[in-house]
Amino acid sequence: MYRVHDRLIRLCAVVSILALCAAVPASAQSSGSRGTLTGTVLDPVGKPAGKVTVQAQSADGQTTQRATTETTGRYVIGGLPFGVYNVTVTVPGLKAFERKGVSVQAASTSLDIRLEEGSQLSTLGEDPLGIAADRARRAPPSGPTPRTADGKPDFSGVWWAPTVVDPGKPEWLPDAQQVAARRQANNRKDSPQVRCLPSAVLRRGPLVQFVQSKEVLIEITDDDSPGFHQIYLARSHPKEQDPLWYGDSVARWDGDTLVVDRNNFLDEVWLDQDAHPHSDKLHVIERYRRRDLGHMDVEITVDDPGVLARPWTFTRASELAPKEEIREFICNENNSDLPHLIDK
Amino acid sequence: MRNHWSTAAMVVALCVGAHAPAWAHHSFAAEFDVNKPVTLMGTVTKLAWTNPHAHIYMDVKDASGKAVPWDLELGSPNALIRRGWSGRTLKAGDVITVSGYLAKDGSHLANARSVTLSDGRTVFAGSSLDAGSAQ
Repeated sequence: MYRVHDRLIRLCAVVSILALCAAVPASAQSSGSRGTLTGTVLDPVGKPAGKVTVQAQSADGQTTQRATTETTGRYVIGGLPFGVYNVTVTVPGLKAFERKGVSVQAASTSLDIRLEEGSQLSTLGEDPLGIAADRARRAPPSGPTPRTADGKPDFSGVWWAPTVVDPGKPEWLPDAQQVAARRQANNRKDSPQVRCLPSAVLRRGPLVQFVQSKEVLIEITDDDSPGFHQIYLARSHPKEQDPLWYGDSVARWDGDTLVVDRNNFLDEVWLDQDAHPHSDKLHVIERYRRRDLGHMDVEITVDDPGVLARPWTFTRASELAPKEEIREFICNENNSDLPHLIDK
Repeated sequence: MRNHWSTAAMVVALCVGAHAPAWAHHSFAAEFDVNKPVTLMGTVTKLAWTNPHAHIYMDVKDASGKAVPWDLELGSPNALIRRGWSGRTLKAGDVITVSGYLAKDGSHLANARSVTLSDGRTVFAGSSLDAGSAQ
């Protein structure tokens, strides 16, 4: 009886020690002490950045803690095991902040953070507030996939700009890379969009609307010119046709998936937002699936042996924006930027 | 635990990346200089609610007291409307202070990052980077 009791006590002791070991992060086991990381986050013009998340992750990746700044910009991350941390702040629309090697070895460590503009700058309406406001408006409804009278999924509705789920791995040919690098170095000054011409083949949004009938799906976007193009559901590509800005788009049904086939693009249109070009061999296949009332998934395959070593497939997803309307976008109304654009 | 946080971090990264704006009508680096922040105080002569960008046209007094016309570029009306603003948010005669970045070509043009009325109320923007209510 005594030996059984003794073993039970030893077992409990071992279990307790193991539990303690599991509860205490590895980085704290060496010192057994903890500290606080605190400071102020300012936006690019020096104003306090409120409600921004500051993250501290230990160098070994074992400990991650976050805190949200107050309206004064002040943040406090308490209870950090002594160690070295990677501190990050990510605000959409601003340059991501990262400070590696922040040593927390005392009761309180101070780190003030000044956020910087990203490539977009914070022009009103396209600034972090605007981006966050758009995000807050996202509330996709739930429900089954709506269908047309003939039982096909109905993609009609206003959608938020698709977000990339899997970017894939495009293998650009050297010439295409050089063209893109040159265009980017020139601040994309020569992009068709600057002159109020259609945006890149693969660009969508910020809002996109689909209007679907049995014969045609019309796609409308809220900051493009002219802002719409047709996807024909009841015909194939013409044998001979002059090139088009949006290409010739036809579609067929593969079960509940709408397979859109696009070709015959005008030379002048750019392929993507990274300023890559395309060749006359460009062929884009988009497979649309409306998984439920509020969500749409798209798998896109870009096949262009003139700029890619092999076909590039990536996926995007969209959320329905039932409360949004697409307002007219007459780009040439006041396109006063052109004389001010500088390429270097 | 590591996997948990790695997954969480990846989700955060995806969410952040997913909502990052694609550059719109033109590259800002082609027109404005991030190294030349500016704050201007003046009187609104017109709020142009136009595409591809809305503009505030305002008179700013120079050192000699002479009114100099300035052009402050905003985002597109579509983007601004989603924040609850309209072409009536500002009117001629409003005295405002605008912070932004100067045009690279040296003209009296800047992008507008924040707009404050003479009574201290912030128009079009706030100091908090959260979603906040429209002002």
